[in-house]
Amino acid sequence: MDSRNLGEGLGGIYLDNNATTRIAPEVVEEMMPYFTTYYGNASSQHGFGLPVEKAITKAREQVADLIGAAYPDEIIFTSCASESDNTALWTALWTQKNKNEIVTTKVEHPAIIDTSTFLSNHGVTMHYLDVSREGDIDPAKFEALLNERTALASIMWANNETGNIYPVPKLAEIAAAHQVLFHTDAVQAVGKIPVSVKDSPINMLSFSGHKLHAPKGIGVLYVRRGTRFIPYLHGGHQERGRRAGTENVPYIVGLGVACELAKAHLDELNTRVRALRDKLEQGILARVPECMVMGDEGHRTPNTLNIAFKFVEGEAILLMLNEYGIAASSGSACSSESLEPSHVMQAMEIPFSAAHGTIRFSLSRYTTEDEIDKTLEVLPGIIARLRELSPYWNQNKPAIAQADHVFDPDSQEVRA
Amino acid sequence: MWDYSDKVKDHFLHPRNARVMPDANAVGDVGSIICGDALRLMLKINPVTNVIEDASFQTYGCGSAIASSSALTEMIKGKTVEEAQKITNQDIADYLDGLPPEKMHCSVMGREALDAAVANYHGKSYEQAHDDGEIVCHCFGVGINKIKKAVWENHLTTVEEVTNYTKAGGGCQSCHMRIEEIIDEVWVDLEKCGVPRPGFVPTPLEGIKIATSTAPAPASTAAAVAGQSSASPYEAKVKAVLQAFNDGLPADGSEVTLSGIDGTVVQVKLSGPAGEGMMAEMTLTFLDKKLKEADGTLSVKRV
Repeated sequence: MDSRNLGEGLGGIYLDNNATTRIAPEVVEEMMPYFTTYYGNASSQHGFGLPVEKAITKAREQVADLIGAAYPDEIIFTSCASESDNTALWTALWTQKNKNEIVTTKVEHPAIIDTSTFLSNHGVTMHYLDVSREGDIDPAKFEALLNERTALASIMWANNETGNIYPVPKLAEIAAAHQVLFHTDAVQAVGKIPVSVKDSPINMLSFSGHKLHAPKGIGVLYVRRGTRFIPYLHGGHQERGRRAGTENVPYIVGLGVACELAKAHLDELNTRVRALRDKLEQGILARVPECMVMGDEGHRTPNTLNIAFKFVEGEAILLMLNEYGIAASSGSACSSESLEPSHVMQAMEIPFSAAHGTIRFSLSRYTTEDEIDKTLEVLPGIIARLRELSPYWNQNKPAIAQADHVFDPDSQEVRA
Repeated sequence: MWDYSDKVKDHFLHPRNARVMPDANAVGDVGSIICGDALRLMLKINPVTNVIEDASFQTYGCGSAIASSSALTEMIKGKTVEEAQKITNQDIADYLDGLPPEKMHCSVMGREALDAAVANYHGKSYEQAHDDGEIVCHCFGVGINKIKKAVWENHLTTVEEVTNYTKAGGGCQSCHMRIEEIIDEVWVDLEKCGVPRPGFVPTPLEGIKIATSTAPAPASTAAAVAGQSSASPYEAKVKAVLQAFNDGLPADGSEVTLSGIDGTVVQVKLSGPAGEGMMAEMTLTFLDKKLKEADGTLSVKRV
């Protein structure tokens, strides 16, 4: 078995569904004719265009249905959620020339954080909301940041690393009361928890297809009717003049099917998958000492478990898990090109001893109980093995007479 | 994910010498839990022969940190302390069939642990034995001396490379300008030793050279060669290389003279600043490279 080349078909256990998901076979099947038979341009005034236009209309209705949009024309198809996020931030600034402040949180996805950094380097005043140690935000503090110069409040609906769900409908009400536009990055919420934009004054919402079993390369920006909007991408009349570019028809069709399936499986995610996640969580806490769940246990997406293992480093855990064909992800510095632990964990003031040892397991409707059992079988051994190697893990280890230094996990010294 | 070599994976999954050595007489600790990696190197050094009889480690860190530690213990076992100290971080990376550039700092950490252990053996702490100098990167606590050493030994040219090797500059990035200055400072010295800076167009200095009286005298070089190596088939090539090499040396009395060609070994004498201390090693390494460019079989030896 080549463990570097594991996939669903090769017996791998995929527990990294917050990164991306397997494309549902039904989605692939619906997409195929739009690569082969129906290759027309939806804008064409002839027989090749008509079935394509109808397919896009259907997909728009399917997407609107999943997120509870009042009208299908509030759905704009984009290339990805990052494009949707960028569009939301820019349009809020362009349509309100008298306002130049944006309120967001410290735990947003880089699609918001990095765009914000860019904007603040170009004269926009950014306000970043703090989070508690559980990763939660305080609506009163949110309200205090809003003023007459605020162009947009952008708060994620659910966090990608911890799964924490933020009270977006409530925050949207607060923003509306201050006449502030409200956008939410709902990439990790749509398809995992019930979302209904028509029931709260949310102006814009972003999400992407590849987190809910559609392919990569397709995203959505919901823009409520009546919200002033200037496109981010110019050059054509597509999407009612709000997003130029010939429609990515097969992917739009795929996303529509994926949204319909996501709605059908929403209950399963919140019952069966949630139970599997809880089993994994309780199993790890029972078998592995010195670990802690990151995030607010009461308010998380049903598929996400983020757990910090003290005294071990996340990338090493991932590499060993990979040897068993288990895929997860880590907020550790070494698993990315950055040298610092994840900004989300830092915002939550995670202890030093655990900052580099966070592992995120994210399940999907394809996850089986057998896979969770196998993970629980090997994980305690992996952590024990790495702790045995770690100088910070002193349990049952002989002392060294000659050592002039103690590896103290709580010390704040930084040695070269 | 990182595309590690099979050897890195092997040393990570099956680390050699990963254990506590209660009777170690040299212990080197580097890194910290805040930085995300830490290494304790434990050695048993024979006080009579100075041979490292046993080596073991404990490492907190990513796969390549554990693999680098494991490789280091294998490399130094059985060597004398002096032999072991000749190992560079590049040697550790080579032993593992290479590390991803972003992970080179793992091999640097291994090398530092060896220094720290030797300092501990001599009854000093690592801090006493190694002056960090001015702290440049406050996020990861990296001193100027460590950065200079990494630039010097690995011929680094960019801030990104320095971050990959030392972690310096990997946090808030406020030290990037300072690191650029340090890189420039080190390259001034490296270029004096004849190491060409990649992508750097040197200022022509011919005018200055003609004006000085200490320029190498071609006649004496020819005279030194004449007596001993007239039979060597490499003579013409070697003389051409030496001529070009001497022309490139700074006009401070530095000179390389040929004293003979023994088979394929070119014996040379070094004089002036280019022949002193650490410079001598640089000069010889560079000359060796130039000779090999002229003829792959040639090598250099100082006599």
